[in-house]
Formats: sequence, C-alpha cells, structure tokens
Amino acid sequence: MAFVSNGDDLFDPIIMADNRFHVEGYQEGFEEGTRQGTIEGRNHGRLHGAKLSAEVSFYNGFALAWKCLLQNDSDVKARKRLKAMESLIGVIQNFPYEDPQYEKLQEDMERVRAKFRQVCSLLNVSTDFREYVSGSTGMSF
Amino acid sequence: MSWVKSVGSSEDVFDEDVDDISLQNKEWKYNMEKRAKDGFRDGVDAGKEASLQAGFNMGYREGATKMTVISQLKGIMSAVRCWCQVQLAGSPALASVTDLLQRLETHEDGLVEAMRKAQQKPLPSVTEVVDDMEDLNVDQDEESGCSNNADRCGRDGTNNDCCGNARDASEDSQRSLSHGSFSTRQLLKCCLDLVIELGLPEEIKLHIQQLIDT
Repeated sequence: MAFVSNGDDLFDPIIMADNRFHVEGYQEGFEEGTRQGTIEGRNHGRLHGAKLSAEVSFYNGFALAWKCLLQNDSDVKARKRLKAMESLIGVIQNFPYEDPQYEKLQEDMERVRAKFRQVCSLLNVSTDFREYVSGSTGMSF
Repeated sequence: MSWVKSVGSSEDVFDEDVDDISLQNKEWKYNMEKRAKDGFRDGVDAGKEASLQAGFNMGYREGATKMTVISQLKGIMSAVRCWCQVQLAGSPALASVTDLLQRLETHEDGLVEAMRKAQQKPLPSVTEVVDDMEDLNVDQDEESGCSNNADRCGRDGTNNDCCGNARDASEDSQRSLSHGSFSTRQLLKCCLDLVIELGLPEEIKLHIQQLIDT
C-alpha cells in the first residue's frame, strides 16, 4: 500500500507534465485558432454581406427614385407602376438584410427579387438588370 | 507511453552512461514537445471552430454597411437612366447619366474586389491596411475633387438650360475619369449635380442628400 502510494507520487508529476504540456499547447493554439477563425470568418462574411447588401440597396434606390419620378403622373399605367414600387420598397424596409442571423434571410431575398422582377416587367426594362437577378447563385430557374 | 517507462527505469540505474541519460532526456523532451504540438493543433481547430461564425457575422455587417450607399446610388441613377431613355431620348443628358452610372459601377466593383483580395490573403494586417487606405482615400478625394463640384452646383441651381449643362457635366466626368478612381462622396456629389441639372423631382435630390449625410 505504501509502495503504491509512493509510486503514485513518483509518477504523478510525469503524467501531469504530459497533461500540462498538452494543455499549455492547447491554450496557445486556441488563441491562435480564434485569431485565424475570426479573420477568416470576417473576410468571408464581409464579401457575403457586401454582395447581398449591394443587391438589395440597388433595388431600394431604383424603387425609391422611380417612386419620385412617377408620383405626379396620373395615368393608369403610372399608377400601377407606382403601386408596384411602393410594394417593393415596403418589402425591403421590412427586411433586415444587414443581419446575418436573421433566419428568413434567403426567403425574404427571394421575395425581394420576385418583386423587383415584377417591377422591371411593368417598366419593360428587365433585360438591363438581368445580371442582378440571374447572377446570384442558389436560384432555381 | 514509452517515455514514462524510460524515465522510470533511469531511477534504478545509476552507473549507466551519461549518454544514455541524455538520450532519455532527449526522448522526454521530444515527447513533451509532441504533446505540446498536439495540444496546439487541437487548440487551433477548437479556436477556429469557436470563432468562425462570430467573425462571419461581424464581417457580414461590415460588408453590408459598406455597400449600402454606393449601391443605392447606383439604383437611383439606374432609374434615372431608364427615365431619360424614354423622356430625353437622343439628348446628350442620357450620355452623361450613362457615363456616371458606369463610374458608379466601377467604384462598386472596386469595393467588392478589395474585399475579395482581403479574403484571399487572410492576414490581419492586409485587411486593416485596405480599410485604412479606403478611409484615407475618401478624405483625400473629398478635399481635392468636390469643392469644384460644389461651385458648379451653385451655378447650375439657377440655370435651367438642361442640354448645355448636361454637356458640361459630361466633359467634367471625362476629365475626372483621367484622374483614376473616385470616392463615394465625390460620386454622390456628381449624381446630385446631374439630378439638379436634369430638373428631376426634388425628392430624388433629397434621397441623394440623405445618402451624403449618412
């Protein structure tokens, strides 16, 4: 019994050293990994956020300007177009596209794109902006 | 674990060669280094996994904020161009709008390209430097380019000769093109001037002014 406990004392520091080296390495590595992960994630996220925001902001500016241009026009066609613009603006205003954790990001994005396509077809200008609508990946048509 | 055994046995043997002990020391050292390296590697993996999402979220917001103004401006001017195509067909004003729109596109592409480059070189210093240079650039351009435009804005505000002014704007933009790139602020100013020249509704001016103020 005494021998065993003596043996434990003898080997404990060795086994603990084994652990200690691993833990020290781990802690150092964790710091480095956190640094790398933050940079990599940030660079990656920045590009994603930029692309999505660029697309939505473009639609927003487009609709806002058209709304101004159509506002004082009273014929039926212009009224219809104006209504479509207001609807697009409304969808964008309720879309927190700058929030990566918004759970319906993809869903709302599709809605915005659909509205924009509708607006373009009412204006007969769809071909000019095709790159925006078809350039995005993950679309199924 | 062979190293535990080897260290243990060295306790018993006092008259061994010094060489042997140093060999065992080496082995001990080697094994401890290996343990530390393994730990480091595990730590890097865990640290990365723990931080990627937070990094992504942070970057996403930054990227989104960065594009809002320029892309919205591009949207506004695209609408203006559509309108000019119908209302001012054949007028030189259309060429000025198209030209300005192209500059907006170039600027927007440049911003995205800078982010893509930063992604390809995942060094903290690089992204920092890109951001800093961007900021510097904005300030510089603001000083050098816009006082000019502000003057012009004042002059044209009282003048409704649309075509003459549009030609003027076109020449102005040609001149600017040879200077290379523009700041977002400078482009905003150019768009505001052009919208005023075209006699477009006041609200469009307000929208652009709002973008300038953000």
